[in-house]
Amino acid sequence: MKFLPLIWSGVWRKPGRTILIFLQVSVAFALFGVLQGLKTGVEHLVAAARADVLIVHSRASFLADSLPLGLREQIRSVAGVKVVIPVDIFGATYQKPSEKLGVVAISPDPDWLAAFTFTTAPAYAAALQRTRTGALVRVALAEKYGWKVGDHIPLMSRTAQLNGSTDWAFDVVGTYSDSDVGGGRDTILINFAYLDEARLSGKGTVQHFNVAVYDPRSAVKVADAIDRRFANSSNETETESLQELAQSQVQALGDLNFLIRAIVSAVLVALLFATATMMMQSLRERTPELAVLKTLGFSDRAVFLLILAEAAAVCVAGAACGLALALLAFPFAARFVQGLAMHGIVVAVGLAFGALVALISAAVPAATAARLRVATALAGRGGAV
Amino acid sequence: MRFARQFAALVAMDLSAVAQRLGPVLTIIIGVTCAVGVLVSMLAMGAGAWRQEMGDVRADRLIVTSLGARGLQSSIPREEAAAIRALPGILGGDDGEPIVVLASLVPIEGRRRVTGTRIFFPLAGTSNNLMQYLPELHVTDGRMFRRGLHELVAGNPCVRQFTGFDTGARRAIRGIDWTIVGHFDQGHVQQCGVYADVDTLMTAFGRNTYSQVLVRLRSPQDLGAFRAALQANPTLHLEARLEGQATEEGFKQLNALLNFASYFIGTIMAIGATLGALNSLYSIVDSRRRELATLRAIGFGPGAIVASMLCVSMVLALPGALLGCLLAWVFFNGMAASPFGYSFQLAVTPALAVLGMGWALAMGLIGGLLPALRAARVPVTTALRAT
Repeated sequence: MKFLPLIWSGVWRKPGRTILIFLQVSVAFALFGVLQGLKTGVEHLVAAARADVLIVHSRASFLADSLPLGLREQIRSVAGVKVVIPVDIFGATYQKPSEKLGVVAISPDPDWLAAFTFTTAPAYAAALQRTRTGALVRVALAEKYGWKVGDHIPLMSRTAQLNGSTDWAFDVVGTYSDSDVGGGRDTILINFAYLDEARLSGKGTVQHFNVAVYDPRSAVKVADAIDRRFANSSNETETESLQELAQSQVQALGDLNFLIRAIVSAVLVALLFATATMMMQSLRERTPELAVLKTLGFSDRAVFLLILAEAAAVCVAGAACGLALALLAFPFAARFVQGLAMHGIVVAVGLAFGALVALISAAVPAATAARLRVATALAGRGGAV
Repeated sequence: MRFARQFAALVAMDLSAVAQRLGPVLTIIIGVTCAVGVLVSMLAMGAGAWRQEMGDVRADRLIVTSLGARGLQSSIPREEAAAIRALPGILGGDDGEPIVVLASLVPIEGRRRVTGTRIFFPLAGTSNNLMQYLPELHVTDGRMFRRGLHELVAGNPCVRQFTGFDTGARRAIRGIDWTIVGHFDQGHVQQCGVYADVDTLMTAFGRNTYSQVLVRLRSPQDLGAFRAALQANPTLHLEARLEGQATEEGFKQLNALLNFASYFIGTIMAIGATLGALNSLYSIVDSRRRELATLRAIGFGPGAIVASMLCVSMVLALPGALLGCLLAWVFFNGMAASPFGYSFQLAVTPALAVLGMGWALAMGLIGGLLPALRAARVPVTTALRAT
């Protein structure tokens, strides 16, 4: 404890230099925090994605191909399958061509929510079952356009109705939220039965099926069983869990991992070198002062720790400041990936790296200071052994 | 004249003393190296993507889509597509027929060769006059697909990146076996692309509309006449865009993202390097107080001292910039990146190197300014008396 004032005065011996080093460390760790935060956040998102919800889609193409609705019963008969829900998706616009939203048609059958990552009030789910033209609106979307339960929302699309019109209208019966990584932000849920009956082409086909399994641990086995059932048929399927889908979605970012690692290393190397040089410089200027400390009875070890503590104080404080900045800036960088959050582990690792930078850059000067010979140092001849 | 002589003498003296101040000098150089290296490598992604997208663009090629639709949303009925052939300004091919390529795009998935991860790439069904529209497309082995057969030709990048694209390999698409019959190179393109016969593909997928119609004009000047005729026909709900314009629109988001990330990270690193340079130069000035005071005492002007310090700090930043560009070139030039599932090669271009130099000079200038002013204001008498 009695060393604290000594460390404090050592830190502020040259305020300009200390502030510059502090800023440099802050800047480096702000960058570290944002980049590492993105990387860790994405990994967490994948880990958190549901492994027990399966998507059954056409093997040829997830996006451009469809499956016959008739496969539903065959999928349901696979052992371990709890519920199978047909899903079809089309794009629509609201009022202006720029206001795009996704329309997801599902069958609100009993237990349908088990096959999705959606949460909604039981009353809303029941209302969707009752109302053929009903729609559940994503909470954020309802706020964006000010939609309320009971509103009638006209949408334009490229999907034609039986009468040739491509305009659709739905009645808002409730709201829902979605915890999944993928999928659009601006989506509404409608009744698949209504869409399939009203549309002109593509009747009796679905984009994919959502499948819930009884036992999450058997998800992989069930997925294989479904794909085997349709192997070598004209509707070959590929079944993946939401987790696998999230994995392949963020895999696209995966190639950036190498780059992120390269940048973070470059930042830390530059920082390490800058702080080490400053420590050396500072030590040279303070040689007589340190000799005086030793004359007063400070042991070699005490002087060694004193120098390390000074460096650690500046670097860890700078790292903390930089990571705080990263926390502030993170929402801007994270807007490209939905649901991304900064994790505590990044801050902890950052602070540890801050301490590490201090220790490495101050180790040599501190050792030199510890081995200082009092007489030569006081005589102004440098005194280093 | 006197200023110039003093300036030259000071710069020469500072540079000759570099070896004695190795620590601070190396701090400046390494800081600038890292900042410039990172900036240039990040921008090389944007430059590489740009080179691939725009490298083969020609002003005489048009992409016709349904009005207001982009990418996979576009759908052109057969009769509208047929009507395009009669529009004016279209170049005639070897067979005398106008070069109008009918295309249908289907995203299909492949598995990465190394990681086994899934990635989407376009399978384009086209009519068999594709080679006349894309003169930069060369079949490197095998042959083009034949009309009416379930055959595919794959770009050489597909073979490098994915499994299952060797000649003779079969792929099941819609329950039908398709055979790879040839490979091709297409200009600067590093993205995997696969072509098949358009009618065969559309039959397999049960489609009856095209995604795009590609048109080659006689000359870029014929664009006006073509567009006017297109708009004058009330039965056509189509729009024609130049290849360059359509490509740029398609990649606007990716380019904006890459550039934003590059400059965001580059700026932060530059701030860090500038702070490091500032600190190093301050410490150099501090250790030279007596020397500077002596210079002032024997008649060197403050202006010459400031100018020489700025010059030296910029000169010290330059090797860092060169080294940074060199490292970026060695490590990243030609490296294949596929962020967001889009593949291209990073390109460290001379323009980027010049940009890196510019940033380095700016770092040197800004980092040197305050220390230079302090050097010029060293009080002569007290500094000379100090031990």
